Amino acid sequence: MLFSITMAVAQEKNVSGTVIDDTGLPLPGANVIVVETNNGTQSDFDGNFFIAVSEGQTISISYIGFETQRIKIGASNVLNVSMKAGSLLEEVVVTGYTTRNKTVQTSSVVSISAAELSRLAPTTSIDNLLQGKAAGVQVTAANGKPGQGAFVRIRGTGSLSAGASSPLYVIDGAPIREDELGAIAPEDIENLTILKDAATTARYGSRGANGVVVITTKKGNRNKDAIIRYSSRYGTTSQINPNFKMMNATQKFQFESEMYALGVVSAANLPGVTTQPGSPERQLLLDNEVDWQDLMLKEGIIQNNNISISGGAEKMDYFFSVGHDKNTGIIDQLGGFERLNARLNANFDAKEWLKVGVNVGYSRSVSDEPRDRNNAQNPFRAMLDYNPYETEFLLDENGEAVIDENGNPVYNPTHTTFNVRGALLTEPAEDIENVTLGSVDTQVILSKNWSYGFNTAVSHLNFREESYSQPGGILQIILNGNGNKRDSGTQRLDLTVSNRLNYNLDLNEHTLNVLGLFEYNFNEFNFYRLRSTGFPSALLTTQSNGAVVLGGQTDTERTRLALVSYGAFADYDYNEKYLASASVRRDGSSNFGSDVQYGTFYSGSIGWNIAKENFFKVEVIDDLKIRASYGTVGNREGISRYAAQDNVEFESYPGGSATVPSNIGNPLLQWETTETSNIGLEFNLFNKRIRGVTDYFKRNTTDLLFQIPRSDESGAAFVFGNLGEIQNSGLEISLQADVFKSSDFTWTLGGNIIFLGDSEIVSLPDGEDVDAVNTFNIRFSEGTKINEHFLVPYAGVDPETGAPLYFGADGNTYRSNDLPENEEHRVFQGKSTIAEKEGGFFNNVVYKGIGLRTDFVFKYGNWINNFVKSNYISDGANVDDNQAVGAFNYWKTPGDTNVEPSPSFRNDAAVNSDRFLERGDYIRMRNVTLSYTFPRRLLENSPIHSLRIYGQGQNLLTFTKFWGDPEVGLSSGETIDFADAVAPGEATLYSYPNTKSIQFGLDVSF
Amino acid sequence: MKNIIYKIVIVVFISGILYSCSENLDQLPFDEFATENAFVTADDFENGIRGVYKALVSIDRDGVVSTGYYGSSDAGSLLSAGDVASDNTTISQSGRRTKNILHNFRYSPSSGVSLANFYADAYTLIFRANQVLLYAENFTGDSKANIMAEAKALRAMAHFDLVRTFGKIPTQSGDANGSLGIAYVIELDPNIEPERETVSEVYQKIVSDLVEATAAINVSNPPGRMGKDAVNTLLSRVYLYMGQWQNSIDAANAVTKTVADRDDVVGVWEDNSLAGVIFYIPNSEEGLNNSIGVAWSQGGLNSIIPEYVASFNLVNTYLADDIRKEAYIVSGSNGGLQFNAIKKLLGKNGAFDGKVDYKIFRAAEAHLNKAEALFKLGNESGARTALDAIRSKRYLTPPAGETGSALLNAIQLERRLEFAFEYQRFYDLKRWALPIQRSNAGDLADGSGTASEVLSLPAGDYKFQLPISQGTLDQNPNTAQNPGY
Repeated sequence: MLFSITMAVAQEKNVSGTVIDDTGLPLPGANVIVVETNNGTQSDFDGNFFIAVSEGQTISISYIGFETQRIKIGASNVLNVSMKAGSLLEEVVVTGYTTRNKTVQTSSVVSISAAELSRLAPTTSIDNLLQGKAAGVQVTAANGKPGQGAFVRIRGTGSLSAGASSPLYVIDGAPIREDELGAIAPEDIENLTILKDAATTARYGSRGANGVVVITTKKGNRNKDAIIRYSSRYGTTSQINPNFKMMNATQKFQFESEMYALGVVSAANLPGVTTQPGSPERQLLLDNEVDWQDLMLKEGIIQNNNISISGGAEKMDYFFSVGHDKNTGIIDQLGGFERLNARLNANFDAKEWLKVGVNVGYSRSVSDEPRDRNNAQNPFRAMLDYNPYETEFLLDENGEAVIDENGNPVYNPTHTTFNVRGALLTEPAEDIENVTLGSVDTQVILSKNWSYGFNTAVSHLNFREESYSQPGGILQIILNGNGNKRDSGTQRLDLTVSNRLNYNLDLNEHTLNVLGLFEYNFNEFNFYRLRSTGFPSALLTTQSNGAVVLGGQTDTERTRLALVSYGAFADYDYNEKYLASASVRRDGSSNFGSDVQYGTFYSGSIGWNIAKENFFKVEVIDDLKIRASYGTVGNREGISRYAAQDNVEFESYPGGSATVPSNIGNPLLQWETTETSNIGLEFNLFNKRIRGVTDYFKRNTTDLLFQIPRSDESGAAFVFGNLGEIQNSGLEISLQADVFKSSDFTWTLGGNIIFLGDSEIVSLPDGEDVDAVNTFNIRFSEGTKINEHFLVPYAGVDPETGAPLYFGADGNTYRSNDLPENEEHRVFQGKSTIAEKEGGFFNNVVYKGIGLRTDFVFKYGNWINNFVKSNYISDGANVDDNQAVGAFNYWKTPGDTNVEPSPSFRNDAAVNSDRFLERGDYIRMRNVTLSYTFPRRLLENSPIHSLRIYGQGQNLLTFTKFWGDPEVGLSSGETIDFADAVAPGEATLYSYPNTKSIQFGLDVSF
Repeated sequence: MKNIIYKIVIVVFISGILYSCSENLDQLPFDEFATENAFVTADDFENGIRGVYKALVSIDRDGVVSTGYYGSSDAGSLLSAGDVASDNTTISQSGRRTKNILHNFRYSPSSGVSLANFYADAYTLIFRANQVLLYAENFTGDSKANIMAEAKALRAMAHFDLVRTFGKIPTQSGDANGSLGIAYVIELDPNIEPERETVSEVYQKIVSDLVEATAAINVSNPPGRMGKDAVNTLLSRVYLYMGQWQNSIDAANAVTKTVADRDDVVGVWEDNSLAGVIFYIPNSEEGLNNSIGVAWSQGGLNSIIPEYVASFNLVNTYLADDIRKEAYIVSGSNGGLQFNAIKKLLGKNGAFDGKVDYKIFRAAEAHLNKAEALFKLGNESGARTALDAIRSKRYLTPPAGETGSALLNAIQLERRLEFAFEYQRFYDLKRWALPIQRSNAGDLADGSGTASEVLSLPAGDYKFQLPISQGTLDQNPNTAQNPGY
């Protein structure tokens, strides 16, 4: 009563204002309502609004996805309202075939919005973007090659087979392979949701065991004039400065002569021995000293341009975009990566009862491929192996370049016999990837409660790989060939047809949603390859110019995989207080034994929004929810498509075909099953200034799909089977806090971390150890961690003799030759390739339009076998290659400690030891962005709605004790390629290093 | 009403899809073939036996190609191992130092370069042979006997190559027969974890397979496959290794192929002549197209990058009128350095792309086996006759007339000269219980340059038996390592 009297006497006045989002962009269409009245308006396209209101009244400003703001009207007639992105509990999240308001959902999911994505470090591939963004998501960049993806593991490593631990990626209803994520422009993504526990992943049945990443692309707003958004970025990229030094020429000469003096015979012909200090020969070499890292690498260019047009009418909306990305990479003489992408998304209300949506995206990327192998054909190895006194071109005695018959300087083969500088030009290789993603979604509204959905989604890859060894080029001269061209290509079609019958009941306090699903998924893979030799000119590159087609390397392949699924999912809540969900799904897959093709997966989950209870009256707690889930999820990856069948294939041998066994069948081959339990707590405190989520999970995987190695004597190599059991458990914490918050200034801190607890192998068949294929020294053994290094412990250098010592099984130290015979000296030391703690944290300060954001990522507790280091601190064994300066620090006199072994012992028997096994811990500043968002008043008289400019640095700061770059994914792509990698980050072997960059960009909309 | 119609349409639609989709779960491969259907007709068995031979040149395991048997593998194969680990070669400082662990006898169970690929590849060949034998049991075609004989001969050959590499050779020492041999596998079972049998048990089984094979195999089979002469040559060698001299002579006598004339010797190694060749595998650009010469060198004669060169000592052991010096060794150069390059795998007819036919058995061996066996039986004149059968076709004025130990030395020398770079030297020194002794000459043509780091392996050293690789031991807990490692 008192209130209304006050109101009556108050003077009504016109207040004007502007609504902007947390990035400073105007928010059109925000609802502005005077509280407890019917008086209200909406902000216009520029975020401006006018409203009649009296002093003392409160207005509320709301917008979907943002926190509702309440402002008491004071004396001022101008209001500038800065909206804050909605807190964790208010978003709508995708929960597997449906969406659900986060308040009532009961699963552990992380949702990353377009706004959040746009603030992250610029990268061409979205999987790299995920690092440090979501608790429990472990990301290891495969390498630093432009356009290259990452190894993503959600809640530990859930499988022991290559490729089988990756999450399922679904984009607009179509599954897409991890390798092809680079085809999706981050600018096109509306939302990226990571499903972590069985409550939601079980809805993806046989493919959800390692988590699901659901990607939704953007759409336009209805009843809106078109918004044209243009974003552009330009910058440079370069090698992250190595934290070790290679020798210069003077040092290397010194080293060579020291080695020779110690009896390293292979140094005899090296210039450090054959030339004398101060001699003219030595001086000639010094005069022509080369810094190979400088020569081989360049400062690359990164460039990104993206334009989108979106809007809608009453019954339709559209989103259209085109983008172009270019990243030259850091190898001089290579063009790097380039991508062109286009997308059109449109939704129509075709009839009152019929809605149709069409999303089509196409992308084409072209990438120059350096050889990712462990020899001098790889520029990243060559630049370290080549000695600084070796020149790019052969020189005559006057120091002039030797000229060949065509007048070109002759490349110096160097001591490695291969000049990669020349080879980069004469041995080009290129990948061309075309990806088309299309989906058509039809929704039929049958009645108030019933609806039916029919969705067809296709993802299609057309991939071509060409590599040419030009006639007269570096490799052909060595091989005495006359040109050699390889073409290969892949066509991969993935088709998903799904039927959904949906029942929705909203009855007072009860909300129920039930979904019935029938889905069919079909995948066909086609491959061809062709190789010819004999090319008349380096400029002719197509197969039709080749003289001889090589029979053994010309063929095609085709495989198919089918999946049939039935499912029923239900979500229920009572007054948003008591929550429950359940799912059951039955999948049949064609790659299992014909009697065991089907598997059933189910889940159940419950939640309680305690803060919504009337009895719960704790001032500082705004929201508080506890939830729990349990369920089973399957996996069918990690085996070949016909692994259950006994098959042969045909090769050729003089006289005709040759029958060779291709698969030793296992008719009992069936699903790998993961049982997941999860308990979670979500909370918002102090007016949502502090927001947090924490989860404890436990995953138990049984019937692991595995290529089980057989004894060499069996001649069978391996058999695909279901093997053993592994377990992962852990704790995830995600916290954000607005340390300071006012209309002009906000300071936000946030971060997340996973503490991976048990990550271990529980049981293996017959309890026998298994040496993991496609690893170097990983052994699977009951009770050990997943991907644990199995090595002989290095005991350091004998201070008396300088000999390298190792611990024998008996605990005594030995030289390798003296290790007791017939005993296992390798041991498990609990050192795994998998990080025990991993996550990220950020700091964001916004003052008026100026923002400074820094993002850090970190890993802790993983171990990397540093083969690269072992090549440059080789105790004289690799004296012909350049060495690291640290190689000087070898044992010289009795009593020396903290030294490398004396080169006199370089010929001791080789031991797979942990001498170069190092901690992979690091903290890296992934991103720092300084941005300025122009205030409205400056743009008022221009057609521009919003304008933001920024400068951004990537990987500018790293804290690590690792020798070299600690972000190790692939060792060497041609040794173990992306698809075969079982233990990413096990070892270093010269794969494309991660790079740093500095870029400047702008976002503008009209 | 309208709603009901929609619903009916939808239900009909869904059930239609349900029905058609379930059938798609029975997928059969396109690129492969059910094993049981692959061994039915006579042609199937021809394809099948070629599949066993194929293991000699390369084995594709899920896309990873291994060439550990007679391949050019940098990790070593029988194509080069017998000479790399001997006094016939010197490591070249200009090469990539492939196989240097083998050359310098530094192998260990985990060194990676201890013919581990050969071990696995040989057993894969044995698996394939056993598969052919299993399905051939129920085959009734005319070719059954020949196919089974070839499969048994190949199975025996693979076991023989394994046991002489990883075990002792019976004549090598008194304890050899009772020492660790290898597992002789005759069953088709991916799950076996067999123990190593004794050397003597293994040799008995090899002989048994080969004797059965000689009885049933065709006199000749198409190129790339063994015929009766090949099996008899192998059997003669096996008996020689066992010290069963008369059996060795008998088997050698059964070989009908004549030794290549002096005029043909050079042509044999340029693939212009098949004189005296008993078993070879054609290797052409259109066919297998394997650059096996990479085992010894790469590049043309003026830009050669040798991995190994003919040892200075070997080069000088050939007499001036010995045609084999020209046939086996060629001078090559690179940037002012001159090398005694190994020619046997260099290329066809003047080429140097390393694509030459694989020569596995030659008629000369039967005579040299016989000469050695006759000498052991005390028949010196017979031994000389057999030896001269070779020497008369190699020299313009052959050495002749040795007696006693000089004759034995001459037989052993001739074997070295005839089969240099032909996979035998290491095994011959091993079975004769002789040391490996290299000269300290360097890697260049005039003996200068750098010598190999390790110059000798004493007679009887444990390193004459290569180590079983750690990986093999890990997979099969029932197997055992050789003493010394």
